[in-house]
Amino acid sequence: MRHAETTAGAMEHSLPMKAGRRGELWRRLRRNKWLYVMILPGLLYFLIFKYAPMYGLVISFQDFKPYKGIADSPWVGFKHFERLFTEPDFLQILGNTLILFGMNLLFFFPVPIILALLLNEVRVSVFKRTVQTLIYIPHFMSWVIIASISYVMLTMDGGIVNELIAYFGFQKVNFLLSPEWFRPMYILQVIWREAGWGTIIYMAAIASVDVEQYEAARMDGAARFRQIWHITLPAIRGVIVVLLILKIGDVLELGFEHVYLLLNSMNRRVAEIIDTYVYTAGLRQQQFSYSAAIGFFKSFIGLLLVMLANRLARKMGEDGVY
Amino acid sequence: MRKSRAAFALGLALASVPALAACSGDGGKETAGPETGASAGTAPSETASAAPEKEEAAKITIMLPLNIAETPPDTVEKEIERLTNTELTYQFFPADTYEEKLNASFATGSLPQVTYLKNQATFLIMKDAIREGQFWEIGPYLGEFANLSKLKPAILDNTKVDGKLYSLYVGRPLARQGMIYRKDWADKLGLKAPETVDELFEMAKRFTEDDPDGNGKPDTIGLADRNDLIYGAFKTIASWFATPNNWGEKDGKLLPEFMFPEYEATMDFMKKLRDGGYMNQDFAATSKTDQTNLFTSGKAGIYIGSMQDVNSLQKDLVKNVPDAVVDTHALIKGPSGQATTWSIPGYNNVVLFPKSAIKDEAELKKVLAFFDKLMTSEVATTMFWGVEGVHYEKVDGKAKELDDKERIEREVKGFKDSLIGEPETNGQLEAYHTLEARIHAEELIVENEKIAIHDPTAALDSPTYTSEGLQLQELIKDATYKYMYGNIDNAGFQAMVDDWAKRGGSKIIEEFNAARAK
Repeated sequence: MRHAETTAGAMEHSLPMKAGRRGELWRRLRRNKWLYVMILPGLLYFLIFKYAPMYGLVISFQDFKPYKGIADSPWVGFKHFERLFTEPDFLQILGNTLILFGMNLLFFFPVPIILALLLNEVRVSVFKRTVQTLIYIPHFMSWVIIASISYVMLTMDGGIVNELIAYFGFQKVNFLLSPEWFRPMYILQVIWREAGWGTIIYMAAIASVDVEQYEAARMDGAARFRQIWHITLPAIRGVIVVLLILKIGDVLELGFEHVYLLLNSMNRRVAEIIDTYVYTAGLRQQQFSYSAAIGFFKSFIGLLLVMLANRLARKMGEDGVY
Repeated sequence: MRKSRAAFALGLALASVPALAACSGDGGKETAGPETGASAGTAPSETASAAPEKEEAAKITIMLPLNIAETPPDTVEKEIERLTNTELTYQFFPADTYEEKLNASFATGSLPQVTYLKNQATFLIMKDAIREGQFWEIGPYLGEFANLSKLKPAILDNTKVDGKLYSLYVGRPLARQGMIYRKDWADKLGLKAPETVDELFEMAKRFTEDDPDGNGKPDTIGLADRNDLIYGAFKTIASWFATPNNWGEKDGKLLPEFMFPEYEATMDFMKKLRDGGYMNQDFAATSKTDQTNLFTSGKAGIYIGSMQDVNSLQKDLVKNVPDAVVDTHALIKGPSGQATTWSIPGYNNVVLFPKSAIKDEAELKKVLAFFDKLMTSEVATTMFWGVEGVHYEKVDGKAKELDDKERIEREVKGFKDSLIGEPETNGQLEAYHTLEARIHAEELIVENEKIAIHDPTAALDSPTYTSEGLQLQELIKDATYKYMYGNIDNAGFQAMVDDWAKRGGSKIIEEFNAARAK
């Protein structure tokens, strides 16, 4: 240790003037070396799993053949992007993706916030904890299970929902096959599975609100609802905005598995999204380059939306994510 | 280090950039080891040693997909090694991600001497690489091996690429499909096994309307079908209507099945079944599990698909309905009065021999000699049934599985799926069945073969089909379901067929016809 410091000191002296700033940097690095060591795994993770694979994007400009590798596969320019943009169903698929995303934002995003606010008002802690646990549980179920449960409940061949509808004398509804029911079904399933899990972060944010503020508000005669509106919500605004931006970043991550399980020949018109299209048109036939091109395009849209959302957040006086 | 390199390659392959493994910088390798190891830990690939040794004559490395969760122990492997005088290294990889593993190994040039593909679809995709000369052409050598020459020429033809043979095939019965139905219901209603499609319709109708389970409630249906036009009921019924198998000939030209009137007749048949309530209403969204449940719960009386499913269906059905009796049936006549059915190309998977691992002709012959020995009765039986007295016993000269099914699954299944040829050619013992309906099914499978309609494009190639065929097929699948559900009529269906043709279908027609003319 001693030795290392002396050599470093010597180096500093041997590089006068010009190295002044570099010396400063070196000193700081050395002083906080354990902190840097600690972020190393995280950095490596991002370099190896997030940045290095980006190199693979070049295959979207090639006719990639696995046995030839990137080096020897022929370059084809924008061929795959042209195929994507001239695909007759392209606009419909993009539209479906954006509509599902919009519905996600509109109907799903507020639910955990409302749930967290409601739970926060519950005073009996046993009840509160029980409810919390119960609404987390669906998060741990796979989409396959959720889709199967839905099928069993909604099928026209003896599903409980349709039996009830028929019992009350109405016409049975073809939930599973009709294009009109696909989106509501999708959103309800997302809410059922993820809403409880989503409350965790809001509950934490709410817990950190200064209690004195509530006391002061009560003194001023603010009722429960007023307290939520003027204290709790503004206090967690930052968290909401950050989560919103992150959510928008996932714009096109609507869950391939989930949608694919609900997709069938009868509702494809509204249910085919970019992810399922990549699967049928690209991956299933090992069209690596075409799949990569679609993925590229998708990420590009995601990036645009995040930048947009971030700018909006800054305009509204929040910090944003960068 | 070798291990972490393999893991690193796999990790990247999973990140859907398989080629990176080939060009990955050396820098990341050491540090990346532990982390990537964790992410790739699900694949039991670590038994794999990368480059096989080639000096020793009888050393053979084999890469193959595994359809069960655990890598099998070497019980069967040891026995095969003893019988064939070889030293084998089996590299099992999970079937779910087998294609990725194939591509990653391909990219890194580390395919072993014997490389199994996963199914017909992977074979189709691999044809490109075969044409580029990545694999040994084995056709000229087959004649030198007495047992390999027994492989069926018709099926070998189906696996040829541009008229040349590069692979050995894993055989499957040509025509296993038929119907499995509730014999007790039929007897009660005085119905006999249907001989024509009209009688089949009648059966479905009466199973629905005449309360075959006798509980006084209208809670039964005829047919249980699922969201699969091929392995569900549709294609089999279509073949009874004498619809061509995928492609057929009209005025000397190859055309897809859905351009034939028989296809439409089948759609009308299914539409009538559904409209009448004689089948499950949600079949376009029904999974195989849900379909089977309809049958095994005693709600539906007819299942159309592989007749070999009868064992598992019967087993689950009697749990719910103890006195249920099932039977199998096939050879059903269409409107023309002729019984017809369809057949698969006769193989399930193929084996390829990479040039990167097999350096010369002499080595290739050694590997082929191993496969030649595999096709002798004793070795084939070991591979398919396991070790006598441990996994199976001989009854009347047939193989009867012993009771520990889990052990058989664990120790034998992995090898069973890789046996080339079929019982007639490799001499493996036939199965000893006790279930009456299954014995009947096996007889029907033999009869089916005689009346099977073959796919004329099985050995033909169309580049457009390879790259866009599946996606285009979705259009037809959607149109077919929409027609059966009454969402579109004849004209609507034609419009979607035209759309198919416009988007690339007509190119596929041209290419297949050109390929046949060659």
